[in-house]
Amino acid sequence: MQRKYDDFSEVIKKHVNENYLEDDYRKFFLKKFSDWPSPTNETWRLSRLGKLARKKFIPYVSSSKKIKNSSITNNAYYSLVFINGIFSKVSSDILPEEIEISFLSAKDLITNLNEINNKSVLTHPTLNITGSCFQDFIKLKIKRNCQIDKPLELLQTGNCPNNSIHPLILIEVEENSNVKILEKFETNSALNAPLQILKLQKNSKLEFIKFHNDDIETTNLSLLISFLKEDANCNIFNLINGGAFTRSETHSYLKGENSSMNLNCVYLSTGFQHHDFTSSIYHDYPNCNSSQKVRGVLNKNSTGVFQGKIRVEKKAQKTNAQQMSKALILSDKALSNSKPELEIYADDVICSHGATVGELDEDQLFYFLSRGIDKQKARLMLIEAFLSEIIEESVDKIFMNEVVTETEIAFKKILEN
Amino acid sequence: MSILNIKDIHLSIEEKPILKGVSLNVNLGEVHAIMGPNGSGKSTLSYILSGKEGYDLSSGEINFDNKDLLELSANERSNQGLFLAFQYPVELPGVSSMNFLREAVNIRRKVLGKKELNHLEFVKEARRLASSMFIKDEMLKRSVNVGFSGGEKKRFEILQMMLLEPKLAILDETDSGLDVDALKIVSNGVNNYKGKDNAVIVITHYQRLLDYIVPDYVHILADGVIKKSGGPELAKIIEKNGYAGIVDAA
Ligand SMILES: Nc1ncnc2c1ncn2[C@@H]1O[C@H](COP(=O)(O)OP(=O)(O)O)[C@@H](O)[C@H]1O
Ligand SMILES: [Mg+2]
Repeated sequence: MQRKYDDFSEVIKKHVNENYLEDDYRKFFLKKFSDWPSPTNETWRLSRLGKLARKKFIPYVSSSKKIKNSSITNNAYYSLVFINGIFSKVSSDILPEEIEISFLSAKDLITNLNEINNKSVLTHPTLNITGSCFQDFIKLKIKRNCQIDKPLELLQTGNCPNNSIHPLILIEVEENSNVKILEKFETNSALNAPLQILKLQKNSKLEFIKFHNDDIETTNLSLLISFLKEDANCNIFNLINGGAFTRSETHSYLKGENSSMNLNCVYLSTGFQHHDFTSSIYHDYPNCNSSQKVRGVLNKNSTGVFQGKIRVEKKAQKTNAQQMSKALILSDKALSNSKPELEIYADDVICSHGATVGELDEDQLFYFLSRGIDKQKARLMLIEAFLSEIIEESVDKIFMNEVVTETEIAFKKILEN
Repeated sequence: MSILNIKDIHLSIEEKPILKGVSLNVNLGEVHAIMGPNGSGKSTLSYILSGKEGYDLSSGEINFDNKDLLELSANERSNQGLFLAFQYPVELPGVSSMNFLREAVNIRRKVLGKKELNHLEFVKEARRLASSMFIKDEMLKRSVNVGFSGGEKKRFEILQMMLLEPKLAILDETDSGLDVDALKIVSNGVNNYKGKDNAVIVITHYQRLLDYIVPDYVHILADGVIKKSGGPELAKIIEKNGYAGIVDAA
């Protein structure tokens, strides 16, 4: 059968040979990408990449490292700017001495992932494309015993609609340290394939907010892999509203007692957007907590997916793992899917999961109307209420205003005609 | 002066006739009680008046304050001064009571030609009226009706009535689930509000509430029609003999 589109594995092979011929470690990733996952692949069944496969694009390469971006960075944060996935030192703030920044190689990437044996991670297109095609691999290290006063901001910007971009970042929070990060994806690219690794050492803490707000034509395939050591505490909140297709996939490895991972998400979708929040949490040690909570609001022909996996190993007794997905459907053409997957091998655990899909409640709407509040305003207030609980529960005070404002802008947008 | 005039309304739900020709006139300054057995269509009538979706008349007319009520959407009816205290107030998780009330009150004030209240002014006014209904400040900070007891929900309905200053208030079984103390609080609220420029329709299953809110007229709704109308003495007869006599007499 003749293929309608270029073979992307050939595209990246050519790219790696032209740009990184001498780097054998990239080939490790290169040879593991043969094609986009097919719909028969269970983890991609609900989020199909056919449209992406038919797009023509090549990985972005920057010749000059001196382009300054026009976006204004916020004084309340230490901002690091990435343009088309490439770190822009000139646009970024100087970091305090508690944070060390360095550049890593493909070899380092292999080293940092050597504990992983899950097939869904090792065959993830982002891992293998970005692992072979990245230009910069940034490591941010929060040195031990440091409380970072001002949050970090990671601004992912850029404009290259005919390219794929490959931001690659490793964040390591050393023992007893504490940092807060806000990341914004506002790129315009054919494919944004960010790969991130989080390493939380003993008794460290990370508050991480991620806005997935790429251009309406962009496909975003984020892959985040995190490792938590004992007493580490990680709170990640995703707001997904941009892109034609955005999948935010996270794999969290709880590798020490008393660690806790809260991974919550709000997605707001309209038009023909497809938003996917896929999360796997691997409980390998006793006395750890995790939560995966999702709220989606879908209008028009949009589709939403939540895939939540909890795996509790035999020795991970006293695990407390919560999972909940709620979707609000505003149009009869919108669709939400939720797929929980629980693999529990320990006996003394508390695991809960649930999923609801519904429309705005007619009796609630009527209560507003009966008090003189019009339908439009009533809908707004009910959606706001639907989202406020998870936002209040998930978002650190320091980011609250920014998250509430961003969410409000996004959900007003999805209510537009 | 007539504030509400219902002329021969008919309504069926799922092809089952519920109201089969109900007429009723209410003038400003009057209190009307509508009594009737369970399932006789009292709440249905309140939903028709307040404009709930799915309660479309098959025939009949309703005038409210010299306007064709059926031409107004539900929120417009409220804006124009019609108020319904629900038999079963719904919970609105995540919607703060204070924000909800302020939104509603400022819309009504605009219609009344009064200036909007800012947050502080509103909080002051809401607290003043709330305390007269024995509603604690703490309750106003919660989500609408969430975690309220049955009695608290009913008092919160009356607080909304006070804040919205309607021309016509319809109270649907506001007495159900109230103990005597709560009943007195609610009745006091209604008695203080009623006057020559407004009217009240009290829907109740029991005569008990009418000892506190004394009606000018009592109507018995049964079998889809108003079987009997009279003064407060009619309610006393019901208390003594039940509905049996009246309903059977048809
Ligand atoms: N939404 C509805 N769907 C189906 N039947 C209804 C609905 N609302 C009311 N009814 C029916 O209409 C009749 C009157 O109900 P209702 O007005 O609640 O009575 P009341 O308030 O006098 O107890 C009952 O037989 C009830 O079952
Ligand atoms: Mg009723």
